[in-house]
Amino acid sequence: MSYFRVNDNCNGCLACVENCPASALDFGDQDGQRTLKHNMTKCARCGQCWRVCPQDAIEFQHLLVGEWDEVISLDLIQCRVCGEVLYSPAYQQKMDSKLNSTSEALCPKHRQNAAAAKLLPSKRRQK
Amino acid sequence: MIVGDLKPLEEIVAAIKDYKQVLVLGCGSCVTVCLSGGEKEAEQLSRELSRIRHYQGPPPKFVVGSILRQCERDLVHTYQEIPPETDAVLSLACGAGVQTLADELEPLPVIPALNTTFLGASDKPGSWTEKCKGCGNCILIHTGGICPVARCAKSLFNGPCGGSKGGYCEVGQGTPCAWTQIVARLKKMDRLHCYEDLHSFKDWRPGGASGVRKRVRAGLGEGSGTNQSKDS
Repeated sequence: MSYFRVNDNCNGCLACVENCPASALDFGDQDGQRTLKHNMTKCARCGQCWRVCPQDAIEFQHLLVGEWDEVISLDLIQCRVCGEVLYSPAYQQKMDSKLNSTSEALCPKHRQNAAAAKLLPSKRRQK
Repeated sequence: MIVGDLKPLEEIVAAIKDYKQVLVLGCGSCVTVCLSGGEKEAEQLSRELSRIRHYQGPPPKFVVGSILRQCERDLVHTYQEIPPETDAVLSLACGAGVQTLADELEPLPVIPALNTTFLGASDKPGSWTEKCKGCGNCILIHTGGICPVARCAKSLFNGPCGGSKGGYCEVGQGTPCAWTQIVARLKKMDRLHCYEDLHSFKDWRPGGASGVRKRVRAGLGEGSGTNQSKDS
């Protein structure tokens, strides 16, 4: 969904296209249809389109308070004891190759507990 | 961009302590980018101001908001809601934003939370340096793209003063001497002859010395129906 939205008052007069200082609005006429186009990377959100529109058609609020775009979804590795989110598999792979070892899926607290558990029996054996 | 600094907390507390409900309003443009007055900073400031230890009596209630630009009156008029019971606005915008809000929201008091500091640029992440004083008559073509008005402590026009030592300014704080930088840049550009051109006294009127500056561009509002920019 575009952030630049117009309501039913839009009559395609192109006042917004002609007055956009950032050249973020364009149009195409083809097969008896006029299409209004908006480029968010060029848009300065200056509001000139909203000011000049003779039809009060521009719903500028969508350029002020927008929705979140999902960028990427990644799998997660969680602590095998408490379920705390640790990292993604790609992150783990990079970490393992740098450390030259295989890391266990444990949060800092349970990693500490696991290390202590390994240490305690060996101390007792020494006694 | 416009760079601002948060005012000392005591100064802000003294200004708001007698109000019952304060709208803490961030601005979504320059001061968001320079990490001093955006929505995030408005929320942080509101959290800090809510602490009871800052007040002898009960603290005001705080509501946080933010708008893309506080310096555009029609935008504020149409899209900024003022919550009921608000008896003051604490603005984290630059001085232009604070004044626009004050004009629009009159008689509601609008209190500045920032000191508007300078027009600057970010040379590296997290660091901003003054680059421009908006003097109204740009001479960067003669000075290798380094502004002596903004970057020389004395705004000198024809070379460094006696306080320039080892490439630094006598004001200290590691401030480079703008004229040393200009000469070095002109040498690199093979335009050192520009340094020999003497510049006359600067006319400070375009820089604001003759009163409030205003520009009207063609096509909108007062400039409708004209083809050229007008200065007034």
